[in-house]
Amino acid sequence: MQAEAHRQARQRAARMRELMRACRLCPRECGVDRVAGERGFCGLDARARCFREVLHFGEERELVPSHQVYFAGCNLWCECCTVAEWNESPCDMEPIAPEKLIELIRRRRAEGARTLNLLGGEPAVSVAGILEVLAALDCEVSVVWNSNMYYSRAVDEVLRGLVDVFLADVKCCARKCCEMLVGVGDYVETVRRNIALAAEHADVIVRVIVMPGHVDCCAGPTMRWVAEKMKGVKVSLRGDYVPPAESVYAPRSYLEHGEMEAVRRTAAEYGLNVVT
Amino acid sequence: MSKAYKRKAGDFEIRILPDGRVVMLAPDEAMMEVARAIEGQENHSEQTDEGNHDKSASADGTGG
Repeated sequence: MQAEAHRQARQRAARMRELMRACRLCPRECGVDRVAGERGFCGLDARARCFREVLHFGEERELVPSHQVYFAGCNLWCECCTVAEWNESPCDMEPIAPEKLIELIRRRRAEGARTLNLLGGEPAVSVAGILEVLAALDCEVSVVWNSNMYYSRAVDEVLRGLVDVFLADVKCCARKCCEMLVGVGDYVETVRRNIALAAEHADVIVRVIVMPGHVDCCAGPTMRWVAEKMKGVKVSLRGDYVPPAESVYAPRSYLEHGEMEAVRRTAAEYGLNVVT
Repeated sequence: MSKAYKRKAGDFEIRILPDGRVVMLAPDEAMMEVARAIEGQENHSEQTDEGNHDKSASADGTGG
C-alpha cells in the first residue's frame, strides 16, 4: 500500500459509495440504489459483509501465510463456487464493523501473515467497505486483491496504490463456456482489460483455474493470451477444481491427471512465468 | 434419486474420494486443523505400516 493512496482511501470509498447510488461497480450495471438499501445481482446493499477470516497456507508460495478475508456477495454465478452458500443472501449476515476487522488484521499479522488477501464472493462488489477498512489501517500491509476481475474501470482506479498483488482467477475463455460456467458472455473482454490495467500499477498473478473438459477451449487460450499480450506476468496453474454436488453446466468430475499435465506442458511451451 | 444436499452458510463439506484423497471445500481454521490431524495420522501410518495405506489428505482452499 502506498502512503498517498492510503491517505486518499477514504475519499475513494466515498466515490464508490456515490457510484452505488445507481450501481455501476461491475459490467452488469444493475443501476440500483444500494445506498438506499436496494439490491442488484450481487444481493448486497452498500455495506461490506465479511463471513470468514483465516490464516491460509494454500495460496501461492510468495503470498503465504496469507490472511484471507472473505466478503459475501458476487457478481458472477458459478455452479462450482465453493462458497456459494454465503453469496446467495449476503444481506442476511450482520456486517463486521471495520474496527473489528482491523483488530483481526492486526492479530493475524502478529501471527505471521505476510499478506492481507481480500476475496469473496467478489471483493469488487464490496469495494467501498473494503476501502474504509484500508483507510483505517495504521500498519504496513501487503494487500492481495483475489478476484474474478469482472468489474468496472472505476474499481481499478480506486485500487491504484492500495493493492500490491492482483490474484486474477480466470476460469474460462470461449464465449459459450463463459456463458455456461460463470453466467456472462462478456467475461473474457472485461477480465483481460482489467488484468492489463492491474499490471500497470501492481504485481499480477493470473490464476488459470483449469476446469475438467475445458483445457483446449479455455485454459489453453488463456495461457496463449498471457504469452502474447502479458509477457512476463506470473501465472499460477490451479488443478484443484471440485465438482458441485449437482450441476447443469459445471463439470461433474475432478480434473484428470493427463489434463493437468497437458496444461503444464503448454505453459512450458509458451515460456510462461509459472509460480507455485 | 434424492436431490443432493445443498450446503447452507455455516456448513462444512468434506469429501472422501475413491482413491483415498480427502477434499475439503473452502476450509476454515477448524477444518484445516482436521486436515493437519489427518496428515499427521497418514505420516504416522507411513512410519508404522510401510506400504499399504491411502494417499495423504489434500485440502482445497480456493474461494469464490
